[in-house]
Amino acid sequence: MAKLILLLLELCIIFCVVHAVFEDQVGKFDWRQQYVGKVRFSHFDTQMQSSKKVLVATESNVFAALNSRTGELFWRHVDKTGPEGNIDALLHHAQDAILVVGNGRVLRSWDVNIGGLNWEVLLDSGSFRSASLVGQQGTVKHVAVLKKAFISVHYLSNGHQKWIENLPDSETVDYQTVYSGGNGHVLVLGVVPHSHITIVVYSMEDGEIIKQVSVEAPWLSNIPASCVVVGQGILMCADSTTMSLNTLDLHQQTQMTQIPLQSLGLEADPDFHPSLMSHQPNAAQKPLSEFFLQLGPERYLLLQLNNGQIVTLRDFNPALLASFATTGEKTVAAVMSPKNKTVSKSQISLLFLDACSINLFSADTGRRLLDTTLIFTVDPNGGKPEKLHVQAFLKKDDSVGYRVMVQTEDQTLTFIQQPGRVMWTREEALSDVVTMEMVDLPLTGTQAELEGEFGKKADGLFSMVLKRLSSQLIMLQAWIAHLWKLFYDARKPRSQVKNDISIDNLSRDEFNLQKMMVMVTSSGKLFGIDSKTGAILWKHYLDNIPSNAAFKLMVQRTTAHFPHPPQCTFLLTEILYISFFFFFGGRSQVTPPALPQPILQSLMLPLMDQDYAKVLLLVDDQYKVSAFPSTKNVLQQLQETASSIFFFLVDSSQGRLSGYRLRTDLSTEQVWEVVIPTEVQKIVFVKGKRPNEHVHSQGRVMGDRSVLYKYLNPNLLAVVTESTDMHQERSFIGILLIDGVTGRIIHEAVQRKARGPVHVVHSENWVVYEYWSTKSRRKEFSVIELYEGMELYNSTVFSSLDRPHAPQVLQQSYIFPSSISTMEATLTEKGITSRHILIGLPSGGILSLPKMFLDPRRPEIITEQSREENLIPYAPELIIRTEWFINYNQSVSRVRGIYTAPSGLESTCLVVAYGLDIYQTRVYPSKQFDVLKDDYDYMLISSVLFALFFATMISKRLAEVKLLNRAWR
Amino acid sequence: MLQRGKLQLLWLSMHTALVLVSCFTDMETGPGAGLSTQPNGDKFKIEGRAIVPGVKTQDWVSTARVLVEGEEYVGFLRTDGSFAVNDIPSGSYVLEVVTPTYRFEPVRVDITSKGKMRARLVNYIKTSEVIRQPYPLQIRASGPHSYFMKRETWGWTDFLMNPMVMMMVLPLLIIVLLPKVVNTNDPEMRKEMEQSMNMLNPNPELPDVSELMTKLFSGSKGSSKAGSSSKGSRPVAKRR
Repeated sequence: MAKLILLLLELCIIFCVVHAVFEDQVGKFDWRQQYVGKVRFSHFDTQMQSSKKVLVATESNVFAALNSRTGELFWRHVDKTGPEGNIDALLHHAQDAILVVGNGRVLRSWDVNIGGLNWEVLLDSGSFRSASLVGQQGTVKHVAVLKKAFISVHYLSNGHQKWIENLPDSETVDYQTVYSGGNGHVLVLGVVPHSHITIVVYSMEDGEIIKQVSVEAPWLSNIPASCVVVGQGILMCADSTTMSLNTLDLHQQTQMTQIPLQSLGLEADPDFHPSLMSHQPNAAQKPLSEFFLQLGPERYLLLQLNNGQIVTLRDFNPALLASFATTGEKTVAAVMSPKNKTVSKSQISLLFLDACSINLFSADTGRRLLDTTLIFTVDPNGGKPEKLHVQAFLKKDDSVGYRVMVQTEDQTLTFIQQPGRVMWTREEALSDVVTMEMVDLPLTGTQAELEGEFGKKADGLFSMVLKRLSSQLIMLQAWIAHLWKLFYDARKPRSQVKNDISIDNLSRDEFNLQKMMVMVTSSGKLFGIDSKTGAILWKHYLDNIPSNAAFKLMVQRTTAHFPHPPQCTFLLTEILYISFFFFFGGRSQVTPPALPQPILQSLMLPLMDQDYAKVLLLVDDQYKVSAFPSTKNVLQQLQETASSIFFFLVDSSQGRLSGYRLRTDLSTEQVWEVVIPTEVQKIVFVKGKRPNEHVHSQGRVMGDRSVLYKYLNPNLLAVVTESTDMHQERSFIGILLIDGVTGRIIHEAVQRKARGPVHVVHSENWVVYEYWSTKSRRKEFSVIELYEGMELYNSTVFSSLDRPHAPQVLQQSYIFPSSISTMEATLTEKGITSRHILIGLPSGGILSLPKMFLDPRRPEIITEQSREENLIPYAPELIIRTEWFINYNQSVSRVRGIYTAPSGLESTCLVVAYGLDIYQTRVYPSKQFDVLKDDYDYMLISSVLFALFFATMISKRLAEVKLLNRAWR
Repeated sequence: MLQRGKLQLLWLSMHTALVLVSCFTDMETGPGAGLSTQPNGDKFKIEGRAIVPGVKTQDWVSTARVLVEGEEYVGFLRTDGSFAVNDIPSGSYVLEVVTPTYRFEPVRVDITSKGKMRARLVNYIKTSEVIRQPYPLQIRASGPHSYFMKRETWGWTDFLMNPMVMMMVLPLLIIVLLPKVVNTNDPEMRKEMEQSMNMLNPNPELPDVSELMTKLFSGSKGSSKAGSSSKGSRPVAKRR
């Protein structure tokens, strides 16, 4: 009972404390962008002419249906990350989509219209080779899945297995493809590398082997890469060593027929492996007898196999991409060819736009179809086109119309309609954001003028008054212009008023709530995104980025130094190092220093060079330090301050943490070293505090009016270790608090019977971490707070070298009823606002948990003093309330990181959650105390004021009359 | 505080031990199986069905997922609301059906090394308490998620029911209405009233406060203004 009362009390407090989203605020300050990842398979839903669905299966283990008119998602299914959710194949028939997932472990059928699962069957283990729909007598009712050692056939309607057969000699023969020509047979093609092809023909009815043939093919090792089935079951293989095409009738022949390319009058590029592409419009029918042969990176040929003779229908040179598409009875071939176009724009600049034109050709004749040209403009900041997905449809006059979805190297999807109108683009690179920064927007001209007035030295009263008046005039002018614009816009219909956001008209708003998000994606594409609307302002694609590279993004110069453009530095560990002006998205003119050695550590110093760029120190693996920019001025400043520059290095493979000091000659000296034995535990990560964090109050006022001072060490590092022994009884996680300058271990805590993954937030004087308790099988939060005690040792300045007293450590743990994806603390301008911890949950919600709940001083027994302090009584379980979800029903999949940035308003913190989706919003941890709420009732207050005014007027009159009457009496 | 936390833990563990003993007969499926299973052990399948009363399954299954122990194992819902999560080794797991619109209670599922299944209520504090749930799982939505706080709306009733306003309005009513109800012309009544007034004012020499006030502010309209403004400022104060 007492517990219940406590809980009620707690709820009461929560109700008073916590801010939630109001329903009318939906979409007002927040936006979400949903992504699917790099597309691996795509199918247009062609069962109905009016269907608008594009099915995509991606490398991020996502299966989704896009709206082909708008590019938005109809539905999306996010599977487990890693190989178990990997999508191996996507087959599409009528309104079912068949997916093979997890190296052939699961076969799923999805209902395309609803987005729900029809059925799901588990297949026997074995590595997946190929899957194909099997047709019989004009209908498709089965799907065949080929694995390393067996083949199984399932019904499309319910997934039940029709038959399963072991493959003959599966130890020696590498079976690679399954093919069905719609005649009641299933053909399995296997290869013994450098020897022969094995063809096994199964009967569709009962899985009986009808025929087994071996064909000599010593040059062949990979069937899917070099062979296709064309026409009446004829296997066509391209051999790059002899530069020939080899044909084999799968039903009759036992010998390959070699047709040298030269005999067709063709010549392949010397070091290019020719490849083939065929098209089977329907699994119940045989493939087309026309096929593409790619002879070079920019050369395609449309060929036809006619009674064993190969006929060249058309030679496409140059051609970047080619693809078949079928609608109704007609099959067309779409070919993309480069088209270099020079556009001159009002004599100022010549823009070289690399454009491509796409044309349709009749597949059976190779004739170009009239009026089918479509222009695709290649984004100069993007990548080259990589894949062409064509949606063909019959127009009213029975001619073929089409739309294309072009996939480029930078994972962009562009959907184009004739004659080149871009219907939508999707930047799928944003599905994998690695790191981001939020940067202030620059001031406008008028704002800068006003700022300048205060910056300059005073020169006489009169001129200052004049200046004041002139700036006031400018403000008035701007205001009138603004009013005029409002008025002008109000007259126009709503649809026409489009706030065109571009780099040129972006400027800081009153409270600095609008910022630019600079995002780095794993594909090497950089984005500048407006935080208010989510519009992409600029993008920049860096090709040839290694897939496992680690990125670091640093703001070297903010917008505060007006004539100098703002500058971000983008560091790609160990390889190269690029610096760019983020505001225009282009690279800067500053040449980055050549880095002969890999970089171990990079630090941003508060020092600035004469151009107000912060100094970046790079430490290479020889422990040599280089500065960037490295002008004389900077080096001199560095020499002066070298004695106070310390840095640390982490070597997690050897479990070593070491601290270094900078010498005046820019060499380094080791100061301390902490070795954590790698046999017992490994360092998971090391977390310092955020450099831009402010702490407003030095201490906490206790119930008895004394002050408990916080231990605010800016050099404190939280080191998290996990035990190497994963046994549930012996596993543990450790947390070490180390001073980064002196190497002094401030505190060490070990959580027994605990396991990772550990998530840590380190801020102010506290560390919050979350782990898995193996004993109770639940997630637990633990909080450590450090206090100096009742008096401060040196209240003016903190020095790691001069702190004799060890801080007091308080710790408390709680149960958390969900697992979490990531965690971050809110951040505000001056640190007055109370803190919340933002927790990304696997369910897609972002929980804003007040730090009040994670306070080691929460008492078990409420006393007068604890009530005075507003401490919530201790309860072992933290509650998740959906009202605390800052993203209400806009769930964010696979949150990988949460970025928080302060705004110009102390109450407001900007939040960006990124993962598969990107979600941006604002949070007010202590409610909006410094600005009128957005639902502020102006009507009410003005009506009350007016009412009062009139009431006074009337009562004044009445009083006068009364006085007069009294005087007459 | 640390000490206290430890004590609490100790108490908890003792409690769990107690519960452990009490439900010993059921314990072969218990948490001991945990995560200590061999990697090559058998894999099992958790099956069940999620129901949102009164809503067609087509309308919500496309946004739903079944999560087992965070995102460790993921399952999807069939068009009839049933689901299966495959390839789960024996152990004890918390299974959740997540959708952005409807709320489902999580369920703990225990799987023995032989593949026997048991579902029970999730209790993070007493982790070994067993309150059986049906298996195959039947998870019923307990309503839509409530994400939003209600805005404080301003209505006349709120204003009138404000205690301060009540305190002001009621005396006003009495002052206005009472003289009309009570017949003041009746001499008896007048006498009675005078008496009661004298009772209230024990010292007749002392000047009446109201009289004093009228004298002070006579000639100026101050009194009426002050009164009305104090009345009016209340709603403003309330809004902030």
